[in-house]
Amino acid sequence: QVLPTGGRGSGSSILVSPRQKGNPVLACLKSVPWEYSDILADYGLGLTTCALFLSLKYHRLHPEYIYTRIRNLQGKYNLRVLLTLVDIPNHEDSLRELSKTSVVNGVTVVLAWSAAEAARYLELYKAYEHAGFAAIRGQQAEGYAERLVEFVTVPRNINKADAVALVSSFGSLRHAVNATPDQISAVSGWGEKKVRAWCKAVEEPFRVRK
Amino acid sequence: MSAAGTSQPVQPVKLSLPLVYQQKLFEELRNEDELVVLARGLGLMRLITNLLHSYDAAGNNLIVVVGADDRENAWIGEALAEHAAISLTPRARGLTLVNTDYTSVGSREKMYADGGIFSITSRILVVDMLTGLLNPESITGMIVLHADRVTATSLEAFILRIYRQKNKAGFLKAFSDNPDPLATGFSPLATTMRNLFLRKVSLWPRFHVHVAQSLEGKKKAEVIELEVPMTESMRTIQNAVMECVEVSIQELKKSNPGLDMEDWNLDSALLKNFDLIVRRQLDPNWHRISWKTKQIVSDLTVLRGMLHSMLALDAVSFLQQLDTIHAAHAPTPGSTRQTQSPWLFLDAAETIFSEAKRRVYSSTQRPGPDTNIDSLRPVLEEQPKWAVLAEVLEEIDRDLFFEPPARDDSNGTILIMCSDANTCRQLRDYLQTMHVKPRTEKKVEEFYDPARDKPSAAFMMRRKLRNYLRWKREFAQVSAQLFAENQRAVTGAVDPRLGRRGPPPNKRRRVRGGGAVGAAAGRLENGSIAQYFEKPGEVAELMAEVQITEEEARQKEDVVADPLEDMDDYYQLYDMQDLVVIHPYEGDQDEHVLEEVKPRYIIMYEPDAAFIRRVEVYRSSHNDRNVRVYFLYYGGSVEEQRYLSAVRREKDAFTKLIKERASMSLTITTDAHGGPEDPQEAFLRTINTRIAGGGKLATSATAQPPRVVVDVREFRSSLPSLLHGRGITIVPCMLTVGDYVLSPTVCVERKSVSDLISSFKDGRLYSQCEAMFQHYKNPALLIEFDQNKSFTLEPFADLSGSASSVSAANAGAADLQGKIVLLTLAFPKLRILWSSSPYESAEIFERLKSLEGEPDPIAAVRAGLDGDEEGGGTLKPGGAQQQIFNQVPQDMLGNVPGVTPKNIMNIVLVTENIKEVANMTVEELDPLVGKAAARKICGFFAKDLLEDE
Repeated sequence: QVLPTGGRGSGSSILVSPRQKGNPVLACLKSVPWEYSDILADYGLGLTTCALFLSLKYHRLHPEYIYTRIRNLQGKYNLRVLLTLVDIPNHEDSLRELSKTSVVNGVTVVLAWSAAEAARYLELYKAYEHAGFAAIRGQQAEGYAERLVEFVTVPRNINKADAVALVSSFGSLRHAVNATPDQISAVSGWGEKKVRAWCKAVEEPFRVRK
Repeated sequence: MSAAGTSQPVQPVKLSLPLVYQQKLFEELRNEDELVVLARGLGLMRLITNLLHSYDAAGNNLIVVVGADDRENAWIGEALAEHAAISLTPRARGLTLVNTDYTSVGSREKMYADGGIFSITSRILVVDMLTGLLNPESITGMIVLHADRVTATSLEAFILRIYRQKNKAGFLKAFSDNPDPLATGFSPLATTMRNLFLRKVSLWPRFHVHVAQSLEGKKKAEVIELEVPMTESMRTIQNAVMECVEVSIQELKKSNPGLDMEDWNLDSALLKNFDLIVRRQLDPNWHRISWKTKQIVSDLTVLRGMLHSMLALDAVSFLQQLDTIHAAHAPTPGSTRQTQSPWLFLDAAETIFSEAKRRVYSSTQRPGPDTNIDSLRPVLEEQPKWAVLAEVLEEIDRDLFFEPPARDDSNGTILIMCSDANTCRQLRDYLQTMHVKPRTEKKVEEFYDPARDKPSAAFMMRRKLRNYLRWKREFAQVSAQLFAENQRAVTGAVDPRLGRRGPPPNKRRRVRGGGAVGAAAGRLENGSIAQYFEKPGEVAELMAEVQITEEEARQKEDVVADPLEDMDDYYQLYDMQDLVVIHPYEGDQDEHVLEEVKPRYIIMYEPDAAFIRRVEVYRSSHNDRNVRVYFLYYGGSVEEQRYLSAVRREKDAFTKLIKERASMSLTITTDAHGGPEDPQEAFLRTINTRIAGGGKLATSATAQPPRVVVDVREFRSSLPSLLHGRGITIVPCMLTVGDYVLSPTVCVERKSVSDLISSFKDGRLYSQCEAMFQHYKNPALLIEFDQNKSFTLEPFADLSGSASSVSAANAGAADLQGKIVLLTLAFPKLRILWSSSPYESAEIFERLKSLEGEPDPIAAVRAGLDGDEEGGGTLKPGGAQQQIFNQVPQDMLGNVPGVTPKNIMNIVLVTENIKEVANMTVEELDPLVGKAAARKICGFFAKDLLEDE
């Protein structure tokens, strides 16, 4: 599925090194166009991002291979992903070694457990090339009900039904927060443990006093 | 050691161990280090306090109690003081509690130096032992409670390892009253013994010779069992719930064919925690199972709760609870059958709801098909146990009347035991009002005339029904607001019911005799059951009916105590002789209750095996106290099954333990695991010959042992313990940035998979990474999978390959992998370490450490403290353990709209707790977070669902 594009290194497609020919991952690359290109890395995912592909099965046979490849990159890209396919059961030793390598040589290890998953990572890297980071900087749930349930269910043991019961008998959260344990235990479904957990959470100081 | 050496208890010490087995066990414990497993109810705490007292009395000791919870601490403290007062030992000092709340580093050091008996929270103890605040060599001995909870990676095992490494002479005794966990798994006892560094185990089941002899002598307690039949509708509900459970389990089996589900059947569903068993089986694949399976597992918990509350609650409360459950599980708009809890689609679910309602009220049959107004009539079925309880009390009354007054030491008190405080309240209500007749009597004086009126709960039930109807009206409004969308769907389904069918031929809506007529009524379009709300007309009528007949009885409400009044106050008014005490089961606390109340009659409203033993022990311990026990249970109910299987399981567990002890090879030496390993070996392990042939050795390995700075909050995980086990020195510090500092440049933030998801969600991880990059050259994120869970991430939410699935606009809704991608794009220099278990993490750390020099704890602590914008650096003085935050209230605060990771610190540092924040006004909050956020926060707390609209 080599799509005709305007020229080499066009912004919208993943660049694939000819070395990757025959890799099942290519068959799974569906939602983002890709093309062969003569690049140092296995996959070019943007101006500053590249990926090397490593199957652990291969790594076990040729442990020196990946070091050569990393060295050949010569630190050219800003983000160098080592996309590792975990396809052997005894992965511990290899992964330990790769962890160390990643710190020493400055590559970022990303694990995938299937060719489809690996392909998906590649697609995501390409698609998010210019994305903002708002999605991981924390956003909050929208509706009052969701927030309410999330707020009440923070202490362990308290579930969604309890949250609904609590607010329905006190009307507002402020009343529920100010209620005495006795009043709360009259709410259906609120046993001793829950009441204690709730009261503790509400009255416990934020900071531990010395 | 000085105290343990003298095998005989020191002379002036007075013990309170009247029974033979208790004395034997005590002797054994004074002489040897061992693990004691005592059957529940045989007085474990009494044994422990006596043992502690014998050391306390000797004085000059430093004894540490590990693993005690709040209640146990209170008991130990009380008992030690009491013992000291009785035996007049001048040197006894009682118990000192150590938890962060009230003790600072300095005062702790002083307290430890003074000696005595300490109960220390594990997390603090381990830090104090590592920092040398509490020198392990100075400890006389350790007492470990809840030994069954000590696993190889637990904090307690870590504590014991540090203790045994440094201190060979001190004593070590472990206790447990829960044999079950010790008997599951592969050679569990041997493993536990190894974790505890003990060689001897002492088992004391109920069928132990000494125990049996002590308890089955002349002074046996008299037990009368009363099997109470359930009512027809209770049985119907129970069967319906069981059917739902069965279908849910079948559904699970169907969708998870790869799992071993041999014993997932109805029988195990009767067990107390079958949902936990199911959960544990699914755990290894928890990331990978479908959403539906997760839904079913949580349904099982709900259904189990239903089984219990059907028996425990009265009919009205049960209906109320069902309403709440129903509202919370209502389908979200636009959802399909596939995303719903399957049990809601069953006829059985319908049966549960309708039958529960029929226990409370039903519609009267009014002739004439054209009357459109249904009239409802209260039914108010009573719990069968109530009547039996009343009978028993009456019998006791007669007994007391005809028999000569008690010649013994008992108080003549009647003690009623039930499972929880709610049941307590219910029974008290019942007993107070059972002779109040709503219709007939007008005189309060006729209160006690059992011959004429049969006890009934009508009064109480009517009051409950009134409250319920009032609640329901409000609840309709609340749930309309909360689930506005669903509500629309519901009304859409309910209203046409009238229009479509015209006047219903059978006024009992949602109870369908077998009609094809009603097959669609009460169900939503997608087939799940619709929430039922009465029309205002019906409610008013029902209300009126309850109200009118109540008018006379209402006058008595002043006489009847307020249901929410404090119990203690209420009972203080009476003389001990004719007292009825209602008390919930509270584990070991029950012994105190027995001792203090000295009851003549005990009514066990719900079965509890441990309590029966407690009564046996109590009876055998006191020659002069007669006790008669009435024991109520519902025949053929879940309650009965649960009781029987609990007894059986404990017996099986002990049998297994005895067998394992017999075949256990005792070659385990404590040295192999606990002793300091060969220093040479430890030394060689730190040499990495790959780097300059071990040439770096002189600087890193010999000069100082490898060292890792660990955040004190990380001691909740097992990784510090494992690192320590590998011979790495752990330096506990209060870190602002990162969790582990491996070297001057390498800093690691550890996240379990669930942590990872939640910290992506609230943006915590992003700011943590930012902070790490400010202070370290090589920050890393350790993604740690669970030991027993699968080493894969959840599959991608959408592998369809459509272009939209990867579009950047969708990034907000991205799955975990998408977020990892974003994180690496945001921080190209962030290294990700993947670890399949904490053991692996320890290995990885060790490798990373071999690269570079040792970290500097002082620099690590200081990182993030200076120039810290978000925390207000002045309020957080440097140094370890200065400012510790409570996680739960902070998490709650983080969920309030308007609170962001940026401004949360401002709130936390100024205000005291959630309560204070909830009661603040916009003006008060404004200086902390700004106007807009303040308004949001205030609105969130103040929003009143009952008044709005």
